[in-house]
Amino acid sequence: MHWQIFLQNVFGGIETGSLYALAALGVVLIYRVSDVTNFAQGEMAMFSTFVTYTIWVYSANAGFPYPYIAAFIGALIFSAIFGFLIERIFIRPTSDSSLLGKMIVTLGLILMVNGSAGAIFGTDSHYMQRAITGHIRFGNMIIRPHSFFVIGLAIVIMLVLFYMIKFTMFGVAIRATAQNDKVAKLMGVPTKKVTAFTWIMATMMGAIAGLMIAPATNVYTGMMADIHLKSFIAAVLGGFTSFVGPVIGGLMIGILDNLVGYYISTNWQTVIVYGFLIIILIFKPYGLFGEIPKKKV
Amino acid sequence: MAFFKLFNNNPYFKYILGSIIFVIIVFIDLQLGLFASRTVNLLIRVVYFSVVAIGFNILLGYAGQISLGHAAFMGFGAYLTAFISNNYGLGFLPTIILSGLIPMVFGVILGLVALRLERLYLAIATLGIGVTIEFVFREWVWFTNGFSGVRLSRPEIFGFAFNNSRHFLLLSTIILFIVILFTYNLINSKTGRALSAMRDSGHAAQAMGISLFKYKLIAFALSAFYVGIAGSLYAYAERYVHPSTWGAELSLDMLAMVVIGGLASIGGSVTGAGFLVFVPRLVQDLPLIGEITNINFILTGLAMILVIRFMPIGIYNWFDYKFIQPFYIKRLNLNKPGGDD
Repeated sequence: MHWQIFLQNVFGGIETGSLYALAALGVVLIYRVSDVTNFAQGEMAMFSTFVTYTIWVYSANAGFPYPYIAAFIGALIFSAIFGFLIERIFIRPTSDSSLLGKMIVTLGLILMVNGSAGAIFGTDSHYMQRAITGHIRFGNMIIRPHSFFVIGLAIVIMLVLFYMIKFTMFGVAIRATAQNDKVAKLMGVPTKKVTAFTWIMATMMGAIAGLMIAPATNVYTGMMADIHLKSFIAAVLGGFTSFVGPVIGGLMIGILDNLVGYYISTNWQTVIVYGFLIIILIFKPYGLFGEIPKKKV
Repeated sequence: MAFFKLFNNNPYFKYILGSIIFVIIVFIDLQLGLFASRTVNLLIRVVYFSVVAIGFNILLGYAGQISLGHAAFMGFGAYLTAFISNNYGLGFLPTIILSGLIPMVFGVILGLVALRLERLYLAIATLGIGVTIEFVFREWVWFTNGFSGVRLSRPEIFGFAFNNSRHFLLLSTIILFIVILFTYNLINSKTGRALSAMRDSGHAAQAMGISLFKYKLIAFALSAFYVGIAGSLYAYAERYVHPSTWGAELSLDMLAMVVIGGLASIGGSVTGAGFLVFVPRLVQDLPLIGEITNINFILTGLAMILVIRFMPIGIYNWFDYKFIQPFYIKRLNLNKPGGDD
């Protein structure tokens, strides 16, 4: 049945797309608050996933009854510390350099984090378990409960994030810092704490995206390269100035990727999808939902 | 005294003297075999990466445009060289020039993209374009021979085959110095000043009558030309071109060379290329640290961050301001730093 295959592809696209959206939101959050484009988001997520994998293996070997849950909690704790340290050691000291300088720091972080992951965890590829194993059949469609878990988790995280940004005092602080950090500071907003906290949140979101994608890609040092680039393009497509845009951009890329892969060509899938997205970017340089910045001379 | 005066007043002198000394060293090595053959191969790498870094510096340092997809142009140059010399048997010089000119056309197309995008949008779009072209290299088997890669033979000029690595080092060093002199003239010309003006403020440059359209395209075209030529040298030096070489890591390495060596400086570009080729090798020989896998990635990343943090002008310029220029000032009783770059 054709429509079932189509639906299965769309569903798979929503699953990966929600992970792109999660990673993209982390990038946008950091960009809005601290003016840094975190190119190392994907590599940091990869590193966190390696730590999660290690916890999972050790706790399973030690006979712990719920190794996956232990690994999940471990991932959250580790990524929070990791994000805090990265911000403290590398980002804060360079916060007064030029926009290009800030960009270069995170590009340097890509090399450092990737290299350290290879040095610490080795360059082999490892299998990682799904959150919920097994699969359900609907006629010809095969759907894994894991997919529902991924989509549900992504929706919950996004709702919490949007609620926080929109309605809590902390969200007001984030928006104030994003709009103008000097004025925010004068108004008594602890901008340094806000920046540190957004880095922690973004790293945690990246770690969750990495953990959720790991069963499909395996755990290895290059696991996030493609996902990271797609999440970045999702952020650009949706617009860096909006929080909803990246989510829609992520879903679009996920679905488009699956459909092109199935109906046109698997070999040329990446080329077609990227080509298409770059063409959109040329016509809508600030994304589908972004504001066009007004430049001052 | 007169010697230092000559050094300081004639800007060409520094480059020509440097060129002659280098070529002489390489020539002596050719006769006596001073360097181990491993060192010769590393020096060839330094030479072609220097050409890459100079090209990338025109874009990033002088014109202020970022690109994370330039590895694709280097790959394109390398594949073109392999394709032309294997299928049409053109000589070294036509091949290397074609391998620069054809990527230059694609550079203009990238420049057209850059007209619409800025800063991080440009970085992400060029990263995407680079990855796309890398995939094209993998899949376009007719041109690139896919994952099997292409082999080619060493170049020949007027019947003289550069089979020996030392001969090839001499040849590529001469090409590097032609590139350096050309670049020096370029950046001190109207075009070079227009590029710097565009970098410092697009609006102010436009107000002075500089067409951003024209100069953005020129910056991208020139850098693609240089990087294509470097790709051609790569192909001749390694005699093997494989699609997995031209990924985002190489683009990051290009950025690292320019940042570590020094933005907007020719000497900085060469320093950066030397740093990226030699430092990981030297560290690998150290006990303990050298045994860490991927130590070269960690070091390059760390060096980039440290340079941005502590000497944003780059190693070469920092050294120049700190030691070389005060030396001139003392000798010549100048009030302000002379020289250029």
